[in-house]
Amino acid sequence: MPTREEWGIVLFTIRIATLATLLLLPIGVGVGFALARYRGPGKGVVETLVSLPLVLPPTAVGIVLLQILSRRNTLGAWLAARGIDVVFTWKAVLVATMVMAFPLLVRSARTAFEEVDPRLVGIARTLGCGPLGAFFRVTLPLAWRGVLAGTVLAFSRALGEFGATVMVAGNIPGKTQTLALAIFHDTQTGHEDRAMVLVAVTVTLAFAALWTTEWVSRRRTRRSIA
Amino acid sequence: MRTIAALILGLFLAVPTTSWTASEELLVFAAASLTDALKDVGRLYEAAGGDHVVFNFGASSDLSRQIVAGAPADVFFSADTARMDEVERAGLVAHADRVDVLSNVLAVIVPKASAAPPKTAADLVAFHHIALADPEAVPAGVYARTYLQSAGVWDRIRDAVVPAVDVRAALAAVEGEHADAGIVYRTDAATSSRVRVAFEVPRDAVPRIVYPVAPIAASKKKGTPALVRYLTGPEAVKVYERYGFLVLVGK
Amino acid sequence: MGVAAADAPVDRVIELAVDVPLAAFVLRVNGTLSSAFTAIMGPSGSGKTSLLETLAGLRPNARGRIAVDGAVLLDTSRRVRLPPERRRVGYVPQDAGLFPHLTAGGNVAFGARARRERVETAIEILGLRALLGRSPVSLSGGERQRVALARALASDPRVLLLDEPLAALDVGLRERVLPYLMRVRDEWNVPILYVTHNVGEALALAGEVLLLREGQVDALGAPLDLLSTEGLVRDAERGLENLLRGRVAAHDDAGGVTRVDVGGGLTISIPLVARAVGNIVTLAIRAEDIVVATEHPAALSARNVFEARIESVERTGVDVTLRCAVGRGPRPWLVRLTPAAVRAMELRVGTPVWLAIKSHSVHVV
Repeated sequence: MPTREEWGIVLFTIRIATLATLLLLPIGVGVGFALARYRGPGKGVVETLVSLPLVLPPTAVGIVLLQILSRRNTLGAWLAARGIDVVFTWKAVLVATMVMAFPLLVRSARTAFEEVDPRLVGIARTLGCGPLGAFFRVTLPLAWRGVLAGTVLAFSRALGEFGATVMVAGNIPGKTQTLALAIFHDTQTGHEDRAMVLVAVTVTLAFAALWTTEWVSRRRTRRSIA
Repeated sequence: MRTIAALILGLFLAVPTTSWTASEELLVFAAASLTDALKDVGRLYEAAGGDHVVFNFGASSDLSRQIVAGAPADVFFSADTARMDEVERAGLVAHADRVDVLSNVLAVIVPKASAAPPKTAADLVAFHHIALADPEAVPAGVYARTYLQSAGVWDRIRDAVVPAVDVRAALAAVEGEHADAGIVYRTDAATSSRVRVAFEVPRDAVPRIVYPVAPIAASKKKGTPALVRYLTGPEAVKVYERYGFLVLVGK
Repeated sequence: MGVAAADAPVDRVIELAVDVPLAAFVLRVNGTLSSAFTAIMGPSGSGKTSLLETLAGLRPNARGRIAVDGAVLLDTSRRVRLPPERRRVGYVPQDAGLFPHLTAGGNVAFGARARRERVETAIEILGLRALLGRSPVSLSGGERQRVALARALASDPRVLLLDEPLAALDVGLRERVLPYLMRVRDEWNVPILYVTHNVGEALALAGEVLLLREGQVDALGAPLDLLSTEGLVRDAERGLENLLRGRVAAHDDAGGVTRVDVGGGLTISIPLVARAVGNIVTLAIRAEDIVVATEHPAALSARNVFEARIESVERTGVDVTLRCAVGRGPRPWLVRLTPAAVRAMELRVGTPVWLAIKSHSVHVV
């Protein structure tokens, strides 16, 4: 059974993953929609950039984030000047998790939006909807299953994020230690039995998240003109 | 389809497999703080006609765990006796084969551009992120924690501690200014131009720092004893001293 | 079919002067549509759907001017381009385009300006009361078209754009939906633009016809004029129809024949139809079904034999088309013959002939 401290780690991990997913939703859905509809120049570049964290080794992503957030570079210095500490704090865990989960949400959202017949949007416009109205009343309701599947996928990824997180947030017990980091730490310090307890919790969480994704996916049907 | 199969086959055949050949190549697991010194020693050994030596540098706690789990090391050069004891307890090192080779000095470091470096342990209370090798297991971190505990400041600064995976990672954190202070070996600080030593930890404020070396009993390689002798011999000692280590062997 | 109200005096005007670059050509339409019901016709790919989309505001690269009853929807020279939601057009695409995630009732009420009374009226006119709770996938093709029509109506449009609404329906369904369209035309005071391939629909519903070919306007005018001569004479692959509108004069039950008075002193015999005497009917006779004789034919089974005079002889593709003035009829009849026949009988302009048509070759449109 997990100790009180270990439940704390579980709670921290779930909170970070949830917050990351919630913050990613508007951005990921927006970018996914834009990529589904936009056909102009530069689209390929954006798509590749968005997918990079999916393909790069997480540690590579972590190092890049570390550089960006470092005090010696523009963004890091700007934050430091305002007293905002990111590296080695929970905020870094959040950033690393969001970056790694982002491509999963965007790609699922994009596919979901691509499956919506664009003519339906045109019809909605002639019936008096502005572009935003058409999005919320027609496109999103028809794409929501795919968006939901992408959200759950992003959440699952956020739960298990390790490589980028350990780089940019460190493995600080009580401050930035997620489940994945705690398992690593316990193993390193010779507490393999505690590590196995955490592994059991992680497996349970991952199972629940993935099963939900499957269930939502199975109920998706192709959404086009009736 | 055939081209793809050919490419994949070529990928595996073309990769140099020297590390998998049976020719004598000795694998040394060594503490991260020994990185630069041992690489030099290894080169000298080969130049003097010895076997090719491959090093695996890391936190001694990680290395001892790997050896106990069956990693094919031939020699273990640890940064403290506790990790060597673990390997000995697992029956992989004979006590008689152990040689205490080096000692070291802890140093409190800050980034080169630091405005107000600490002068004593108590000053560390003002710092936000203090990088240590993991104080729970890695020798450098354990030494540092013991020091801070005996100085009475551990409880006040432990929230600011950023545990790093080994002592070189702690050094890197200070170099990159992600941590505003750190505790590493004096020898590590000397390798970097981007950090400054704020002050050295007095030797009596820390438990004795000892670096033992031993051949792994399971190693069947003929060249192992010769390598261990070289690692504790006069040529190697010259290298250690150049890097700032305190030498115990031969005293 | 009832009396066409499409010819009633009109205060509705649609002014078009647009250029729309399409994949194969530039759609260029200049004209003023002044009927309550305009049929847009032409070969496939001639730009009919694109024209509707342009009016709806779904073609952002259209240039020119569009005004409906004085309201300017597009005027490139004055930088006016209303977005679709401000144009108030009711667009019903070919496959109804219902929103699959809403019920039929939800679809009808979707429009932003769908006030309760308008929605109710639309539901009544299109007879949708029983279908409101159903999902679009469970509706038949005809039901879907009616829902789409009601949805467009409920949004209070200034013009209705219907793209081949009956094309995907079989003949039986078509007959059932047509009356609804007529109700809409007669009871809802909105001009209608109606894309169709079907001559019968155009004749039954439209007050004027716009003929498109490869993005250009071939002709704009009254249905009977256009559909029997202009566009079709040049289009040799399509059947040439002689279209005649007349009134049922008498039924001969024993003989199995109905006689129709088509004006100009002509009476045409057709197989018995269940139409009351006095009803208006439109008849179509295919140009290739007419037999030409240079002497009055005797002992012929054909019930319809008329004296005529050849007005023109034109080569149309592999055949020859004759234009013949028949009796005092308002417009000439088209007859299609092989060149061999024309040569053998020495048919030329001015030759007096007799035209013979079997009653079975006369179709009621």
